[in-house]
Amino acid sequence: MTALVRYLAVDLLRSQRYLPPLLLHCAVLGMMFSGDAGEALFAYAGSCALVYPVAAWLGVVVATTEDPTQRAVTAVTAGGWGRVASAQALLGALGTVVLAVLATLWPVFTNPHPYTAGVVGLGFAAHLVCGLTGLAVGMLCSRPVIVRTGPSLLAVVAVVALTYKAGRGTPVGAMLGGLAQQDLAALPFAAGAAVLLVVVAAAVAWRLGPRRA
Amino acid sequence: MIRLERVGKRYGRGPWVLQDVDLTFEPGELTVIAGGNGSGKSTLLRIIAGVTSPSGGRVKGRPRSVGYLPERFPAGLRLSAKAYLRHMSAVRGSTGADVLDALGFRGDPDAPISTLSKGNTQKVAIAQAFLAKDLLVLDEPWTGLDTGASAVLAELVTAAEATVLVTDHRGTARALPDAHEVVMQGPAAATGVAIELVQVSDLTTTVIGDWDGVRVLSASDGRLSLLVETAVSDRVLADALRMGCSVKSVRT
Repeated sequence: MTALVRYLAVDLLRSQRYLPPLLLHCAVLGMMFSGDAGEALFAYAGSCALVYPVAAWLGVVVATTEDPTQRAVTAVTAGGWGRVASAQALLGALGTVVLAVLATLWPVFTNPHPYTAGVVGLGFAAHLVCGLTGLAVGMLCSRPVIVRTGPSLLAVVAVVALTYKAGRGTPVGAMLGGLAQQDLAALPFAAGAAVLLVVVAAAVAWRLGPRRA
Repeated sequence: MIRLERVGKRYGRGPWVLQDVDLTFEPGELTVIAGGNGSGKSTLLRIIAGVTSPSGGRVKGRPRSVGYLPERFPAGLRLSAKAYLRHMSAVRGSTGADVLDALGFRGDPDAPISTLSKGNTQKVAIAQAFLAKDLLVLDEPWTGLDTGASAVLAELVTAAEATVLVTDHRGTARALPDAHEVVMQGPAAATGVAIELVQVSDLTTTVIGDWDGVRVLSASDGRLSLLVETAVSDRVLADALRMGCSVKSVRT
């Protein structure tokens, strides 16, 4: 599995398709934390709202970097679609960790408010929850579930917009609300839900891959 | 032994590309899949390799280490030949032979595959498939190869210890020693009236199967599925009813 994730990672780095979402992430973080962004946990709400759509974009990227035929060859080489789907989810999760680390540490250096280790830890966890949820959304809105690029993009945008509207019912909503009110009691539940969503997205890719190939 | 049991494939609600295919492949055997354009050769290979799942029936006994060469290997791979093959070996863990040099690869092994010529790309594609140890599924592997490389590939295919399935429209493979041949008819290539009969005795099945313009698609447990030329379909239906069969469906 390590070799498979490494191969997908090298292919992703070569494709440079990770760059647009990463640059967007850094640009918005730069703007968000250019001045006084407010109290530590409260300020994390903004970057959590950012990491969600960026990770969704990353989810689409990890699902579609390989050409469909190349993906078929990789699936046969790896010994089945399940392994490729898992490796893709793992790679996406690694990317999400990078996005979360960036978003968590950025304000520590730029925001004039005090940051304790506990606050940074909570912030990192909240970013991971939002990021993993986004990753699952991206994977569920792209190949093999939605094959064409246009509808895939529309689906991601629609789901992200609906999530912001849905309030606290989603892992992302629970984190944003919790950070704004400085109460992250929902964190364990939201984290479980986010991980479950990624697992479901990988399982869907595993089952649908051979049917849509 | 790899065994296909009543394997069928259709995409969405489209027509059946394959229907009721029963085949077995012994370990180490070389089989050439022949048939015209659109007879379902590539689809059959994709099902056996595990790329796509059959819409009906099943594949039993697919070994662990499978190599697949698609009919059109993607030309836009960003990795270099060397890096790509190294990664594919690593993904497999233990691998078969490295045949890239034997095939006479002339390109830059460190350049992206997308910059290689068609022939050299095909050699990389063949090399990644040959990394497998148990089953090689090669769809038109001779495409784009020069004479020398073609001969080498013929030797590799013959000498391979793995089970080999190959399609080849040029007929090189058919001439190889010990090659079995499977000819695909393909429902996609056939036209006519599809008639499904029930309450058919074994004797009636044999009789109807011998009629002109009638092709038996499947026969089991008193059910008979036919593809009949349009010109004789009315007569076939009438005769089948007279012989005591019951008509389940008629489709054009």
